[in-house]
Amino acid sequence: MRAIFMIALREYAENAKTKGFWIGLFLFPVIIFASIAVQRLLEDSTPTRHFVLVDQSGAYGAEIREDIDRAYRSSVLMALNGYALEHAVNPPQAKEIDLEETPPIDMAEMQQSIESHMGPEMGAMLDEEGIESMLELMSAPFDGLVEDRPEFEMPRPAFLEVPLPKELNEDASVEELSEQLRPYLRGEKTVIVDGEEVSLFACVLLPRDIQDFVQRPGLLADLKRAKALQDKVDAGPDAKPVRRGGQYWGSNLADSDLKNRIQRSINKTLQRRELETRGLDVAAVAAVNDTTLRLSALDPKKEEGKEEVSTADQIRQWAPVGFVYLLWIGIFTISQMLLNNTVEEKSNRIIEVLLSSVTAGELMMGKLAGIAGIGLTMIGVWMGSLVGILGLSAGPEAEFPTMLLEVLTGSGLIFWFVLYFCLGYLLYAGIFLAIGSLCNTIKDAQNLMGPVMLIMMVPIITMMFIPKDPNGTLATILSWIPLYTPFTMMNRAAADPPMFDKIGTLVLLVVFTLFTLVMVGRVFRAGILRTGQPPKIRELLSWMKP
Amino acid sequence: MTENTLELRNVTKTYGDFTAVDDVSFVVPKGAVYGFLGPNGAGKTTSIRMILEIIKPTSGEISILNGRSALEVRDRIGYLPEEKGLYKKMRAWSIIAYFATLKGMSRKDAKHRAFELLERYGLKDFANAKTEALSKGMGQKVQVLASIAHDPEFVILDEPFSGLDPVNQEVMEDVIRDLSERGHTVLFSTHVMSHAERICDQIVLLAGGKKVLDDTVENARHIIPRKLRLESPKSLQFLEQMGDVLRMAPIDEKGDIIVDGQGQPGKLWDVYLSEKAEPIDVIEACLREGIPLERFDYSPPSLHEVFVHLVGDQAKEASFR
Repeated sequence: MRAIFMIALREYAENAKTKGFWIGLFLFPVIIFASIAVQRLLEDSTPTRHFVLVDQSGAYGAEIREDIDRAYRSSVLMALNGYALEHAVNPPQAKEIDLEETPPIDMAEMQQSIESHMGPEMGAMLDEEGIESMLELMSAPFDGLVEDRPEFEMPRPAFLEVPLPKELNEDASVEELSEQLRPYLRGEKTVIVDGEEVSLFACVLLPRDIQDFVQRPGLLADLKRAKALQDKVDAGPDAKPVRRGGQYWGSNLADSDLKNRIQRSINKTLQRRELETRGLDVAAVAAVNDTTLRLSALDPKKEEGKEEVSTADQIRQWAPVGFVYLLWIGIFTISQMLLNNTVEEKSNRIIEVLLSSVTAGELMMGKLAGIAGIGLTMIGVWMGSLVGILGLSAGPEAEFPTMLLEVLTGSGLIFWFVLYFCLGYLLYAGIFLAIGSLCNTIKDAQNLMGPVMLIMMVPIITMMFIPKDPNGTLATILSWIPLYTPFTMMNRAAADPPMFDKIGTLVLLVVFTLFTLVMVGRVFRAGILRTGQPPKIRELLSWMKP
Repeated sequence: MTENTLELRNVTKTYGDFTAVDDVSFVVPKGAVYGFLGPNGAGKTTSIRMILEIIKPTSGEISILNGRSALEVRDRIGYLPEEKGLYKKMRAWSIIAYFATLKGMSRKDAKHRAFELLERYGLKDFANAKTEALSKGMGQKVQVLASIAHDPEFVILDEPFSGLDPVNQEVMEDVIRDLSERGHTVLFSTHVMSHAERICDQIVLLAGGKKVLDDTVENARHIIPRKLRLESPKSLQFLEQMGDVLRMAPIDEKGDIIVDGQGQPGKLWDVYLSEKAEPIDVIEACLREGIPLERFDYSPPSLHEVFVHLVGDQAKEASFR
């Protein structure tokens, strides 16, 4: 026992000194922290996008400009709100949100609801005057706000229209204009805004005949489309493509915020006009569009009265994916350490001195225990920092981390994580140790690692599918393969797998791990003093016989 | 209770068809410095591994420190393996201390002892260096110190001199002498005979897995004929009549034997005497005959010559196999 402890202690101390260990230790908290911080940073640091709008048709320009302006005013309003909250004398307490009662968040639904509620009241607050008066209120001495607050800073507009460069003629054809604007969009030429040179982010060209390209549902539209297609075929592959309708030229098409906004604005205006020409009541149609009926998602596995699927459920369903990934990274990082230092001991023959002092069994147990200590330290720090960072960023203004934290600490996820980590580690570390005992160089080891790596990739591939059907056939089958039990069961942990699966796979995993360790012990004893090439499979099997 | 530290009885180790160690028996008494000699591939390292029970013999018995198994008494044994290696990232003192703790020393004592040893053998300045920063010789010294840090009763050193410069070879000899003076038993293997000659009480010579010789150094020297080199202006042919003279041959200046008919017999002769003969008898015989001697060279045979005499052919064979 003492020897095992001494070996474990050395393994722990020596591996704790390696750079890899510390990088692994800190990388995870840094990534979590960064992913929270970067999100905010990105929002703050995105520069104002400058664009040119040429509306030769005169049909949409005003509406587009109004929409973009309104979006800016709404961001000012948001900023004002944040400013007021920050410097309020009595900051309002955040409403406690009970996740178990909150229906799952559906982004598309949320967007629609916000758009439709931009009714007259909000509109009034959002017009120039409303903003002006708010600004005045904020800068004047005001009872509700603390005295020594900094001055309010107007947020930067996300999008800013700039006039067409002087040498360009607004009335030129769209083809000509786009040709001339290309260098600006490519960054070869710049436009001057407030005396500063800026590059153009996008230009929007709405030609005179844009109304001819309005697409309507129905047979006529289909015929038109077919005709256009036929024309294109007739023109042959070398003909210059003829663009019809409005054009959006962007220097970065991956950033589609502006395009989407303009598209929405055009469609909204178009649809409103269609309603008007057909003599329909616009307000009535809007009201009708807003009339909805909610369909609740219910879970039969939950107790009566609480079947409704909540946000908490959603977090519980997806959080395990993160844990599976951590499990995978954790297990293979430290198993790799074990492999490396076993090969080191073997290749420089320290093993002989060790084996003159301790038995092969003690050496193996000591190594397993020492590296397990490293692994537990690592996941301890990971879990601690996860809870810590979430705890720090939780608060009245950050509901999501608060929720996440509650769900994580409230459910058994962390318990299962630690359990599956330990078992998965013993299983894989055992296999790596056996490989290490057979190889004299890291290169030999890598050859043998190939198949193991393939086997190891499966949980990473299935990781994202399993939450969709956590108790389905694939998940169930994988759960019963001991090599995959830790990952798959971790993946399913939130979905309340049947008790039979939970206990059964655990028992199987424990038995299989013990069996593997006994086999590994035999291979280790025989292989550890061997020099030269790794053995043949048949030889390996003969070692495994008691 | 026997006074023997180590006893091997008919120990054999086979790997498939190959017999690495063949029916070897010998006894190392307590407090002895035992040389374990033999050409490459003679089975020295295999024997040592069996003694330490790192591998098990195919047949035969080994008793060490009155125990059946090295595992029972391993805390009282120190071992330096043939191929030297250390953990690259560990510091010199901590590697010595680590091996000492594996042998049962407390961590505190082990640390203290490590620094003490490093200081005594001139490595004080490198105590905190990582072993990858040490030269090969220094690394080897560290490893030797690691093997004796727990002050073992019985130290087994496999090729302790290989890779060391002459100065450090002497330091190594001192280490062995120190151990011996304090009553510890040392068994070391080498194929450099001069070390064995200087520090061993007794030697075991293996060749091809078999024991060829097991005797004191002094006795070992007497198993090969003694050689005299004489120079005289007159013929020394009469010496062939003496009982102790085995044979004699005329040689040239370079020491090569002159074959009949190829040049004149010169003035130089090599004379081989039997093991028990006294060289002084030859001088007396010359004086009796009134033959003047211009040169009389005699040095007792070295262990090196004994080695070459006993296993030279086998060693050559082994190296070309």
